[in-house]
Amino acid sequence: MIKIEKRNDVPMALYFFTPFIAIILTILGGGIIFYILGFNPIEALKFYFITPISNLYGFSELLLKATPLCLIAIGLSFCFKSNNWNIGAEGQLTFGAIVGGGVALLFYNQEGFYILPLVILAGAIGGMFFALIPAILKTYFNTNEILVSLMLVYVSKLLLDYLVVGPWSNPEGFNFPETRQFSDSSRMPLLFEGLRIHAGIFLALAAVMLSWFILYKTYLGFQIKVSGLSLKTAKYAGFKGKTMILVVFMISGACAGLAGVGEITGPIGQLHRMISPDYGFTAIIVAFLGRLNPFGIIFASLVVALTYLGAETAQIFLQIPKYTGQVFQGMILFFLLASDYLLFFKVKILNLKKNELRH
Amino acid sequence: MATDLRISNISKIYPGCIANDNVSLQFKSGKIYALLGENGAGKSTLVKILSGVISPDNGEVFLNEKNLKLSSPLDAKKNKIGMVFQHFNLFETLSVFENLSIDATEDNKSLRLRINEILKKYNFSIDLDVPVLNLSAGQKQKVEIIRCLLRSPKVLIMDEPTSVLTEQETEELFISLKKFCDEGILIIYITHKLKEVLSLCDEVAVMRKGKVVSVSQTQNERVETLANKMVGQKLAKIKKKINISKNKDEIFKVKHLNFYSDDPFETNLVNLNFSVKKGECLGIAGISGNGQNELFQILSGEIITPDTSIIFRNKEIAKLNPKQRREYLMAFSPEDRISQAAVPELKIYENVALNNFKSSNFFEKGLVNEKKIKEHSKKILSDFSVNTDNVELKSQFLSGGNLQKLILGRELITAPELLICYNPTWGLDVGAINYIHETLIKINDQEKSTILISTDTEELLKLSDRIAVIYKGKLSKIMPSVEVTPEKLGVLMGGGSID
Repeated sequence: MIKIEKRNDVPMALYFFTPFIAIILTILGGGIIFYILGFNPIEALKFYFITPISNLYGFSELLLKATPLCLIAIGLSFCFKSNNWNIGAEGQLTFGAIVGGGVALLFYNQEGFYILPLVILAGAIGGMFFALIPAILKTYFNTNEILVSLMLVYVSKLLLDYLVVGPWSNPEGFNFPETRQFSDSSRMPLLFEGLRIHAGIFLALAAVMLSWFILYKTYLGFQIKVSGLSLKTAKYAGFKGKTMILVVFMISGACAGLAGVGEITGPIGQLHRMISPDYGFTAIIVAFLGRLNPFGIIFASLVVALTYLGAETAQIFLQIPKYTGQVFQGMILFFLLASDYLLFFKVKILNLKKNELRH
Repeated sequence: MATDLRISNISKIYPGCIANDNVSLQFKSGKIYALLGENGAGKSTLVKILSGVISPDNGEVFLNEKNLKLSSPLDAKKNKIGMVFQHFNLFETLSVFENLSIDATEDNKSLRLRINEILKKYNFSIDLDVPVLNLSAGQKQKVEIIRCLLRSPKVLIMDEPTSVLTEQETEELFISLKKFCDEGILIIYITHKLKEVLSLCDEVAVMRKGKVVSVSQTQNERVETLANKMVGQKLAKIKKKINISKNKDEIFKVKHLNFYSDDPFETNLVNLNFSVKKGECLGIAGISGNGQNELFQILSGEIITPDTSIIFRNKEIAKLNPKQRREYLMAFSPEDRISQAAVPELKIYENVALNNFKSSNFFEKGLVNEKKIKEHSKKILSDFSVNTDNVELKSQFLSGGNLQKLILGRELITAPELLICYNPTWGLDVGAINYIHETLIKINDQEKSTILISTDTEELLKLSDRIAVIYKGKLSKIMPSVEVTPEKLGVLMGGGSID
């Protein structure tokens, strides 16, 4: 018979180590899948995890993909730590990109140092506003934030669709579903000639530092921590629960909005339908893989970014669809949850035979 | 047929704690056995082993010399061991009959017939077709007992059965238990209430720290001797407080407290009016589930009710949240110390920071002042004799008594004018109870007031200056505690009336 018991005390070191176990298991699982598909697993994994970052360009691509993931995951960690399940970061990213992109389009034929900060600010505010919708509905009308935030993703995606084919489409664009190119003043400065990595990475790093400070050194962070562990206690302590829900959603939305604006002013340079390969959803995995810890999230965003790159390389060299990236992301989450389960519970196999012999 | 239950060398070890250490006991039908011990003495573990909920690491259980394999509650049922837990396992929205038919093996008609026989035989008056949520705690317990009786048990184990009962219901229970005993059912009665052991049981086994420390005939024991065996030390008796405050200022006054809830599991409160004088302890008695939860939350500010007027030190505070009320020098100690008053995963000093005054400067300009919080926490740990000085310890590693001391210390170190506590000694051992009672008396001696909401009548009579009873959300008239007897309280708690 199998019996499952809760562990009394989970060592902190092990708690931060299990993500590594999950990653190793994901790689092994990936190898098995490649083998079943008829590829040499070692070679396939090499294409997946090593080839993409074997040169400087690849490495810059890794940072480029990790930047939005890290930003969004940092924002989400505020929500998740305080028991608010915002899973609509993809929508907040899109809406931030729409608002930021709108401002960029206003200035499409102008130059000026002030334009980029305005665009970035507009993106953050856009994301913040979009996250406020589920937050307000939750606090004042008791709706479920999981459903509302998720459904709003499709609202913002369809809005973007409408804008790029309709009112905002490029007049000289032969009816392609895309806007004008932004002017150079609306673009993130590139860090190195010839590489796509841009100044947005500093926004992500700043968010990491700032979130660490807020979460561990401020009263707001303390309230978030307590509310996440026990809402009953938060109520008893007299924390302003409603305000806190609004604040964490705003932080989360602003981060997602920044990620969105970073994409369109960075590598993309205009608005079109495909501004994000589901960064907003994948960042949920990043946040948990990073244990909702700001520095853990940096590491997790690099790992998950690699699955994006690996999928692209594998598509080119092995002719397998790049959606295998999502398989890998799914496996990471699966193995992480599985190892967490074993971390928090122990499985005992009771020896029935021994007992029965006694009779 | 006589039943003989023998427990032989049972051990159960949890990480960091030996719950049962080589326990051997023998029970024979025709007697009522008490298993007495403080919380954490290992009673519950032993009972769980007997009922198949957990398996022992070592040792065996014999029923009539047959070695029992108890690896699940089902095995216990098969072997005719019945168990009534302290917390009822009933579906509140289903009827009594539906609850009883869930795990029955026979058809409804014959089941109903058998239930009616049992009701008649033992003089239980329960309507089988009302939802369980309409029953009193005593009636619910009877439903649980009937469930056991339907399986014609050889052994009936009762785990702390009186903790939710009124005095009358307790008496009725004892009569039933004696009847069962006469019919040859072996009864094991788990409790930490000494008087019940003396009035009900024939033989008593005392457990302490996982071991059986004594087995004796109850006729040779007195309350004091049993208490000493239980705690392992001589107990200082607390003097009952006599200083009834007269003609003092009313420091706290509640008017028109009404609360209506859409949730059928919450109790509505109907027009509560009361006041507390300076230096006084107002006791609020009642069986749990009669509105105490809701009352506590309204008094603490977790629930804000419209139209209620709460005057504290001449200020209207009815609209303030708990944090704001603390600024006016109120303090709160809720019933649920494990998941409400403190967070087990947080360190001691973080739990201390939950009660945070402007003047305490724990969070200056929105930043955490860890140094200040830790200093403050150290002071609480030493002033309230919590048995650790490590403020970095997670509070889940504190025992119930030490956790309660920490919480009371946190609430009291700010010298509040009014402390509202709800079941402050629930589930604690005698040593901790004494300490907390002394602390509560000390507060009153310092001219500070307390409101004590409690389900423990003994505690209320010991500590309160005046007592009222809450029943189904209504408050009885407030009586000076010298005029109150346990019997009177019992009548009121059960919904009766006195002159």
